[in-house]
Amino acid sequence: MKLKSVFAGFLSLAMAAALLAGCANQMEPAKKAIADIEAAVAAAGPDAAQYIPDQLQAVTTQVADLKMKFDQKDYKGLLAAAPALLAQAQGLTAAAASAKQAAEAAALEAFNSEWGTLAADVPAQLAAVTSRVGILSKSKKLPAGLDAASFAAAKSGADEAKALWDQATAAQAAGNMEQAVMAGRQVKEKLDAAMAGLGMSAG
Amino acid sequence: MQEKTPPAWGTPPDTAQEQPEAAPADGAYTQWYEVKKGDTLWKIAKEVYGDGSLYPEIFKANQDTLSDPDKIQVGQQLRIP
Repeated sequence: MKLKSVFAGFLSLAMAAALLAGCANQMEPAKKAIADIEAAVAAAGPDAAQYIPDQLQAVTTQVADLKMKFDQKDYKGLLAAAPALLAQAQGLTAAAASAKQAAEAAALEAFNSEWGTLAADVPAQLAAVTSRVGILSKSKKLPAGLDAASFAAAKSGADEAKALWDQATAAQAAGNMEQAVMAGRQVKEKLDAAMAGLGMSAG
Repeated sequence: MQEKTPPAWGTPPDTAQEQPEAAPADGAYTQWYEVKKGDTLWKIAKEVYGDGSLYPEIFKANQDTLSDPDKIQVGQQLRIP
């Protein structure tokens, strides 16, 4: 009877040890699976956060779930879910690159379109303002409604607009459409202000 | 000569009226002045530039329709450079 009880004790101990060993065998692969997925997410870089935030969020949420499984020692469940999530994480890099390319193409198209408007508009406006400033500079007395300070501001605004427009056209010629459009917008603002200051009507 | 509406600064000519042929450079930013009764180029230059002696600037800008700076007509649309 006593021998039987001792044997049963040993058997229980052996089974528990085997169970623990089994768990320990799965813990390392589970840890590695999480690390692999996190490395794939990191490889997608900041582009993923910028261009595919929803996809990135979906993956990071699932990574958190895996970590919870790890903490709960549910290595089997973790290892079952890991391959699909790894594939999803590895897809982030390509998805982010594709979304970035599409966003850049759309931005370029918008800049090209805006540049077309600026290029058709600004030279005539610049010529009108420059002409008026040039003639007023020869005037012995400024017209009613235009004081010296307003004229000086309009004149310097026109000069700045001219210099900025040169920069804008140079940027456009160099293919830097974003810089060209940004400078072009500033030119428009300065010319609109100069025209208003000179009492000229804007087309 | 008949007096017309007060000067309309910067307003393009009314195309319904008989207008001078537009110069190719005319565009959205061309500034216009409608001649009213009693106007002369000198008076217009004094009004828009503050200095009547600058009237040749207006004459030069309107040579497609003006042959003589002393001959302008009420209602005529003049470019003001």
